[in-house]
Order: sequence, then structure tokens, then C-alpha cells
Amino acid sequence: MPTDSFFEWLTKTPWAKAMNGPEWAFPLVESLHFIGFALSVGTIAIVDLRLLGIAMRRQSASELAADLDKWTWTGLALMLITGPLMFSADAVNYHYNPAFQFKMVCLLLALVFYFTLHRYATRPTTPRLLANLAGAVSLALWICVVAGGRMIAFV
Amino acid sequence: MNIVSVLEWVERAGLSTAIREGALLYPIIGGFHLLAIALFGGMLVMTDLRLLGWAMQRRPVSDVLEQFRAWKRAGFALVVSSGLLLAWAEPLKLYRSPSFWRKMALLGLVGVHALVFRRGVYENAKALDRGLTLRAKLAATLSLLLWAGLIVTGRLIAFDA
Repeated sequence: MPTDSFFEWLTKTPWAKAMNGPEWAFPLVESLHFIGFALSVGTIAIVDLRLLGIAMRRQSASELAADLDKWTWTGLALMLITGPLMFSADAVNYHYNPAFQFKMVCLLLALVFYFTLHRYATRPTTPRLLANLAGAVSLALWICVVAGGRMIAFV
Repeated sequence: MNIVSVLEWVERAGLSTAIREGALLYPIIGGFHLLAIALFGGMLVMTDLRLLGWAMQRRPVSDVLEQFRAWKRAGFALVVSSGLLLAWAEPLKLYRSPSFWRKMALLGLVGVHALVFRRGVYENAKALDRGLTLRAKLAATLSLLLWAGLIVTGRLIAFDA
């Protein structure tokens, strides 16, 4: 379990200092975080809606998932680079923030789900009910991630 | 009666105060705004990437555009209505925020973009199945730039105060 000194060290790293330097740095990185978020969660949500059978029905979930995969990855990469950058700018406060902790737990669950059961659910052989369930669970997990993220500034 | 006194009146009225001072209402509406951005933004980006020929190439352009159309409209309605509620909660702050006015200018350009490109590109998808035109690629590029600008200026509003 990392201690406070680890988070204090984080805030003194060069990249944290850069984040706290010019006043445009934080909003710029935050904007990139949002663009990565729209790309990754947006493309995952498209597959989820297909798994639920309510969107993009002219192609199978497996075809859709394969076509969107690299864009989901692009968004995830952008999000997972910019997120820790923002975190290190004020690491001590963030790691005590209950909304932040909630967001991280949900993010971990959402990512694990995405790379395991969600992947399984997009196979052509998966029974429809299981596919529906996977789409619903995935959407719910990402909604929790967004809700936690939004609350960080309010708790 | 000038604009500031109208906005002050809005801020004193019930709905504005309720959103601003309710502990949960403001972040909940903000959360809806974000979720709608993800849903709508993801589909918008995929539509434009298809028009550039960079994504979902095995599907005809018309297949991609037609299937996303209704969802994008619903997403846009959700983004705009949740955004209006957020603006209603603090109209004076936004009135004085340069980033807010830049964002509104970009939103105006989104309208111009639709006027210029909707008929020739987005509602002309069947013709694009035969080949992507320069006009379609220009429309997609401008659309992606406009929406990236909307995200940046929207984020900057919080840093103006």
C-alpha cells in the first residue's frame, strides 16, 4: 500500500510541475482526457448497444467490435496517459477523495470486464441473453466511472 | 432592462437556484452532459472517420451513416438540453466567460457546417458508396475540428472564473 510520501513525491515530479506550471496546461490535458473518453467509452457504448440489439443491427456484434477496436484503444491510451498526469498534479488530495476512489474501482472493473467477458460476449456463438447482459453491465460500469469522475470536483 | 439584469433575474428564480445549490443536481446534470458527449461524440467521430475512409471500411458509407443518424440526433438533443440546464444555473458567470462565448461561436459554426454539408454529404450517403468525394472528406475534417474545439472551450469555462 503506497503511503502519503509516494503521493507527495508524485506531486514533485517534473510532469506534475509541468501540469501546475502554465495555466493552460491543466485544461489542455483535461480536454485531451475528454476526447480520449469520448472515443473509448463512445465506441464501447456502440458495441454495448449492439449487444443489447438496439443499434447497428446491419452488422454482427463481432464485426462491429473488430472494426471499432483500434479506435477504442486509441481513446483508452489517450485517457490512461492524461488521467495519471492530472492525478500527479494534485496526487495527495485526489487519493483521499472518495469520488476518485469510487471512480478508480469502477474503472478497474470496467476495464477488466471489457477485456474478458465483454470480449467473450461479442463472439458470434454467444447466446443472445448473455450478450444482452454483457451490454447492460458494460454500460452500467462506464456510467459509474463517469459519475465518479464528475463528483471528484464536488466532494 | 439590460441583459445583466435579465440574467440576475434568472439566477434568482427557482430552477436556477435549485440546480446550483442542490448538492447533487448540478453534478448529476453534468454527468448526463458527459455521458451524452461520449455517446454522441463516439458516433460522430466514427461517422467522420468513415467519411475519411479510416474506419469501418468494410461497411458502405450509407450503412454507417444511416445507422448512426437517429442516435446522433438523440445524443445531440441530450447534450444540448443538459447543457442548457447547466447554463441556466449560472448565467451571469457564463455571460462573463470568454471561453463560453468562444464555445457558442463554435456551436454557431456547427450550424453553418450542417447548412453547407448536410445535403451534399451526410444525407447523400448512397452516392458516397460509389466513392468518397473531397467534399465529404472536407466535411468530416471540419466536423472533427469543430467538436474538438467545443470540448476544449467547454473545459476552459471552468478555468475562466
